[in-house]
Formats: sequence, structure tokens, C-alpha cells
Amino acid sequence: MSSNVMIKGTKSGIILVLDKEADWDTLKQEIGEKFRTSSDFLGDAEKAISFQGRDLTNEQQQEVIDIIHENCKLEILCVLEEDPKKEEAFAKTLEAKLMEKENNTGFFFKGNLRSGQVLDVETSIIILGDVNAGAKVVSKGNVIILGSLKGNVFAGSAGNVDAFVVALDMNPVQIRIADTIARSPDEAPKKKKERETKIAFWEDGNIYIEPLDKDVIGDIRLS
Amino acid sequence: MGEVIVITSGKGGVGKTTTTANVGTGLAMLGKKVVLIDTDIGLRNLDVVMGLENRIVYNLVDVVENNCRITQALIKDKRYPNLYLLPSAQTKDKTAVSPEQMKKLADELREEFDYILMDCPAGIEQGFKNAIAGADRALVVTTPEVSAVRDADRIIGLLEANEIHHTHLIVNRLRVDMVKSKNMMSSDDVVEILAVDLIGVVPDDENIVISTNNGEPLVGSECLAGQAYMNICNRLLGQEVPFLELDANKGFFQKIASIFKK
Repeated sequence: MSSNVMIKGTKSGIILVLDKEADWDTLKQEIGEKFRTSSDFLGDAEKAISFQGRDLTNEQQQEVIDIIHENCKLEILCVLEEDPKKEEAFAKTLEAKLMEKENNTGFFFKGNLRSGQVLDVETSIIILGDVNAGAKVVSKGNVIILGSLKGNVFAGSAGNVDAFVVALDMNPVQIRIADTIARSPDEAPKKKKERETKIAFWEDGNIYIEPLDKDVIGDIRLS
Repeated sequence: MGEVIVITSGKGGVGKTTTTANVGTGLAMLGKKVVLIDTDIGLRNLDVVMGLENRIVYNLVDVVENNCRITQALIKDKRYPNLYLLPSAQTKDKTAVSPEQMKKLADELREEFDYILMDCPAGIEQGFKNAIAGADRALVVTTPEVSAVRDADRIIGLLEANEIHHTHLIVNRLRVDMVKSKNMMSSDDVVEILAVDLIGVVPDDENIVISTNNGEPLVGSECLAGQAYMNICNRLLGQEVPFLELDANKGFFQKIASIFKK
């Protein structure tokens, strides 16, 4: 009995390990033989299949599945890709897509956040009201406050350094973007400042607060 | 081995937090290694009075729940390098911490610091029980008002019931002019009612309001309240310090006015 063909079982399906060098026709015969002899053991379950050891074309995969159906009672429902690189790439794109969704969707909150209140959201957030000292906003995306920011904000809480914070009146105790924390200056400003819309953003490990003008808006990345 | 001191009053608004900030800062000025713990979970103030609010990342509840190490939550004061603050959580309530956990925390800090000052919340419920759990001694703050004195009396009773017998009294916001005109209890009157040792009398001083709003404790400054707090610190260290002559620091016109009054 040659070892050109091996069947491994997993939770959700079977893995068929095929020899790289062997002749395709002999390999097909061996596959048929292997499944015929282990038919009783495999039973009549519905399984997913994946291939290892040899790259198969779509037609070859279909041939193998047909052989399996002829020789035992297994029902092959689908073929799973076992390529770790492909899998990683797939996971990355999926994650990126999800992030994008989080950053580009947001919801509105109306009301003032007072000391001790925490607003923690998965998406970006637009607050119609003030965020008082002692209150906290946490968002995986961006935070836009149509009111005064006098408390704490944590934008990009999942690690997104492109996240930003905008407030009509920017006087935060602390702003955190991803893993960078900025705190307010210890000396209170002598004069009462003019109310001015400002943006806080992350760049090279620092958090900058600047007036929200056209140039700054141009630099915003909605990743 | 450090000493754990709880600053408490029963009644709210009599100056526990201000006292904690000033006594703590004063002890640090005198070269002691001090940590201030705000035990008022849900209504934190001490960080604001100390001007350290913008430095808070972790807090008391994070420490107790093992979300961080103690050293990560301790905030170094911006003026005195041997003074630290452990801030309270603003988003939880008193039940987030138990007296046993507070006692354990105090015992850990004892190794590291000379003085551990607990800023107690108003009331006699869970927050109070947490604050006194690890304490060796207590400073009871009261104002010369019947309501505050009544609550202080209740607190002293509760402290004794919890085996804290080393208790001293601070009479806060005394107004000498009102005492003279017999419209306010004197510190002697308060001591007579409460029958505990007096460790300090702090006059009502507008500088306190200014310093609190600026987040800069005024202990050690020239003003009467600043001197009074520094005297309390020295007495805590075991020195004999005479009590301040509270009406000695009158302005020029007041002095002339008082001559005419005679």
C-alpha cells in the first residue's frame, strides 16, 4: 500500500494529503481505493474538504470530489482553502473592511455628558452637547463634539492613529488617541479665549490641537 | 513603617478634602514621603484641589481590581517629588471597593511611604467604612456649627467602635469676629462638647477658596490658613507648637477701628 494518499480528520471536515510527485492518474486510483477501504469508518456524514501537499486546479478538485462520491457515502459540501498566506490576507482585508465601517459610520448623541458619565461606542460619534470635566467619551473611531469639550476623550480606542477629535470649544482635561495621551497645561490661560472650533489629531507619536481650517480638513484621513 | 491617617467629618462641606490636600502637602514640605488617597469613589475632588486631574490614567478601583499596578496609578505631585496621589474613580460607586481591600492596599503602601492620608467621603456608609479600614489614627474635621459638631460627635463614636482611638480634632473655618460677638462657637466650646484633643484651628480665609480653585494648596504660605495648616503638620510630627493668635493679623484700618472700639 503506497502512502501517496492520506486522509486526516478535523472538527469540520477532512484533509486530503496528496503526494506532490506522484502521477495524477495513479493518484486518482489510489484516492478511490483509499476511500473505498475506509468507507465504513468514514460513514455517511456531510463534510468540507481541503487539500494539502499538492496544488490542484479546479477541475482536478472536482475530479477528486467525484471519485470520493463514487467510492464512499461521504457528502462533500465545499472545498476549504488551506493556504495560510491566503488566509492571513483574507483576515486582514476583512478586518480592514470592518475598521472602515466603524470609522465611516457613526451615531449621534444628544445631551450633555456630566461628571462621572461615560459614553463608550464602537463607531465614530457626534455629540450634540457638552462634555463636562469628569465625563469621558470613548470611541473606536472619531469624536465630534458640537459643544464644549471640558472632559476626557479617547478616540481610536482600538489603536487607530488616524482618529481625530473635533470640538466647537476645545478645553479638554485629557485627550487620548490610540496609545498616546495628551493632558491639558497646568497653568490655566490668563485670558478667556475666544471660542474657536479645533481639531486634535495624532502625528508621529504626538497629539496636536489646531484650529479647524481648510488645510487641516484636507489632511484628514478617513481610513 | 508608615502611618495611615484618615481625615473624616461625617458632615459634608466642612473641609475634609482641603485639609487632606494641605496637610499632605505640608508633610511633604517637611520632607516626609506622603501618599494621598481619595476614597470618595464616584465624587472625586482631591485631584482637582491638588491640580492633578489632567494626569489621571488609572485610579483606586483599577488598583483594587488589579487592572494595573499601584505604581502605575500613583500620580506624582507637580511641586513636591515625595508627594503622591492615588485618585478615586468617577464612574463607579462606593461598593466597588471593600474595607478588606482598602486595608490590604494601605498595608502595601505602608512599606513605601511615611504617611498615607485617606480622604474620607461624607456620611457613615460604605465609603466611610472603606476609608477607616486601614487607619491607625484619625483627624476629625468640623466647623463651629451645631450640625457639624453633632456629626463629628457621631463620627468619633464610630471611630472608637472601630478600634481607632488615636483621634484629633481640627476646627475649620473659624471666624474670630463672630466668636467675639458670641455668634459662633469658639474652638474651646467645640472641644468641650467633643472631648478630644485639638490639633489645629483653621480660620475662615478667602485665600482657601482661591487656592482650591487654582489647584494649589496654600499650606506654608504667609496667610493665616497657610500657617495654621503648617502648624497642624508639625504637631502631627510630634512637635509642640503654640496655637495661632488668629486676630493678630488685622489690617491697618481694622487696628485703628479696634482702638476706637475700646
